[in-house]
Amino acid sequence: MSYLKLLKVASEVGRVTRRYPLEEGLVTEYFRGAIRIDPTRCWGCGACTLACPPNALSFRVDGDEVSVEYFIGRCIFCGRCAEVCPKDAVEITREFEYASTNLQGLVRRVAQKASRCRLCGRPVGAEAEVRSVAEAVRLVGGFAGICPDCRARLLAEGLARYHPRRA
Amino acid sequence: MELSQEAVIGKLSELGVEVEYRDDGSIFAVVKRDKVRAIARSLYELGAYFMTCVGSDETQLRGYLSLYHIFGFDKLGLRVVLRVDVPRLHPSVPSIVAEVPAADWCELEARDMLGIDVVGRPVKRLVLPEDWPEGVHPLRKDFKYDTRPPKQLPQPEVGKEVGLPLGPYHPALHEPEYFEIYGRGEVVEDIVYRGFHVHRGIEKLAESERMTYEDIFYLAERICGICGFVHSSCYAQAVEKAAGVEVPERAEYLRSLLLEVERIHSHLLWLGVVAHILGYDAGFMHTWRIREKVMVVAEVLTGSRKTYGINTIGGLRFDIDRGRLAKALSSIKAVREGFTRFLGIFLSVPQIKSRASGTGVLSRSEARALSVVGPVARASGLYRDVRKDYPYFAYREVSFKVPLCTEGDNLARIMVRVEEVMESIEIIKQLVDKLPGGPVRGRPREIPPLRKVVAAVEAPRGEDVHFLITGIRRPYRWRVRAPTYQNIPALRAMLRGAPLADAPLTIASIDPCFSCTDRAVFCDRSSGTCRSIELRRLAGG
Repeated sequence: MSYLKLLKVASEVGRVTRRYPLEEGLVTEYFRGAIRIDPTRCWGCGACTLACPPNALSFRVDGDEVSVEYFIGRCIFCGRCAEVCPKDAVEITREFEYASTNLQGLVRRVAQKASRCRLCGRPVGAEAEVRSVAEAVRLVGGFAGICPDCRARLLAEGLARYHPRRA
Repeated sequence: MELSQEAVIGKLSELGVEVEYRDDGSIFAVVKRDKVRAIARSLYELGAYFMTCVGSDETQLRGYLSLYHIFGFDKLGLRVVLRVDVPRLHPSVPSIVAEVPAADWCELEARDMLGIDVVGRPVKRLVLPEDWPEGVHPLRKDFKYDTRPPKQLPQPEVGKEVGLPLGPYHPALHEPEYFEIYGRGEVVEDIVYRGFHVHRGIEKLAESERMTYEDIFYLAERICGICGFVHSSCYAQAVEKAAGVEVPERAEYLRSLLLEVERIHSHLLWLGVVAHILGYDAGFMHTWRIREKVMVVAEVLTGSRKTYGINTIGGLRFDIDRGRLAKALSSIKAVREGFTRFLGIFLSVPQIKSRASGTGVLSRSEARALSVVGPVARASGLYRDVRKDYPYFAYREVSFKVPLCTEGDNLARIMVRVEEVMESIEIIKQLVDKLPGGPVRGRPREIPPLRKVVAAVEAPRGEDVHFLITGIRRPYRWRVRAPTYQNIPALRAMLRGAPLADAPLTIASIDPCFSCTDRAVFCDRSSGTCRSIELRRLAGG
């Protein structure tokens, strides 16, 4: 009959089920939950969208706006975005209650003003990024605001001026 | 003759095989098609276990499809990889199932996924679904990973009765396994397994342009919902071997530690399920109450209860500080105390012993022939443990014993796992005690293409094998062989001639991530009737 000792264990342990949501402490302080992107820090470079394994983060260019879109429905809470963010704009929170009555409730967007190429006018990325890069790396100077195609053309034209016969 | 590495190489050259020895303890050899059976037989007779076989489409490289047979000499810590080249136009290769019964499934899988015809054995579709068109082989390189070929529906037989498949095909319920149990009266005569209902094409996805080496850690971790860290660690081991990356000691210790945490929670989960199947639900709840602490330990250490997301090439993504480790250690000690106390009660329940002892017996010779792995092998008296045989990470630095039983019944499998929980707790204590300082991530190195490596990690359910052929930015071929793949074929041996009521416990005893939604079709051969029943109901008698 020694298996009846379980009754003693049970009475000592008591109730272990938490009264959710009335009781706190469902997750520990170390829990890795949804991310939050700080719009004042994010410069819209999209590094996180490249690092994200399940493509929960995506980069969109929409007219005069570039945005990083976070879809919690795909997120696997690995925190790689926070690891690669050059501006420490991604914060890993302890949030785990995402339930929503519609799909849009699972989407969070951080939008930036798009910067247009000074020469051809096509969008080249976020204005904040272009400005910050130009400030951080003096050498880049005015080239930061020019799209890669125009930059290639400028270079070709420059070389042609330097070696006119080869052009 | 004493078995030694030289003896193995000698035997192979006697058979006319040129071997190439690699310093990671593996031998690679190219074998002619007509010789593969003889060579497989002599390796198996020499005492090798069969790990798996891997089909690979190498037409872009050498103009052949290839089939790799991987053997392991556990006592020598030596792996032998035989490569058979198969011309794409007439892709046939002799089967080695007669010599090596354990090769049954993987040969069929290579046939399905790559169109390598295995001749000299009965064949059927194993992995691909019934409505998949003939002649389309998804792991061929000319098959794009996101293609969906038109369904080819099998001709339905029109009858008066309509059968409704219920349960095993339901993709939302976990672990859709399906067993057809053939019986005479109450005695099981044969058991047919149908699986792969939720084949996710992970291997194909990994070699697609969608993935990089770095992304695959997260993919690998999602192969299994219970021992995901095993898969990401095994993949890490493969990539690190291929690239020659040095992993810092601290990272190796922490990986071992997390692997043991995972083993404890997995074994406790399983023990709870066993209690539940035997109708001892109080035991189930208390096991899971104790297990919950282990889940929290994982969260404290890594930030996540299950998918740890901490592995990366060359070590860990972040360090685990002393505060976290201390918290984890005190919880683990509490788990030990609680579990020891509960175990005495659990094993004194008369029904547990009477239902588990002498049922589902797997003899040592059958276990050997099928090359079963993990606790299933150890309960049948086979001393097999990757942690001892092919030491990896920090397992050389800790002392622990490998629990062994010889009875081969369900009780033996319970006892082996119970003792393993205790051993794992001791390993964790030693690891925390000896944990060296320093960085947790080595210097990244370029991963050279077309390196071939075999990696293995001892999962809670046994040996987990990853075979990797490196490519550019991502694997060229990445083959995963989970332990249950090797153990399910042993169920036929365990159940033949057993009473039907033992089937649920025995099926659960190999720990196949069992779920209560499993259903079985029970066909009574003496009366010719079939009926569908829940496995759980069977257990109730």
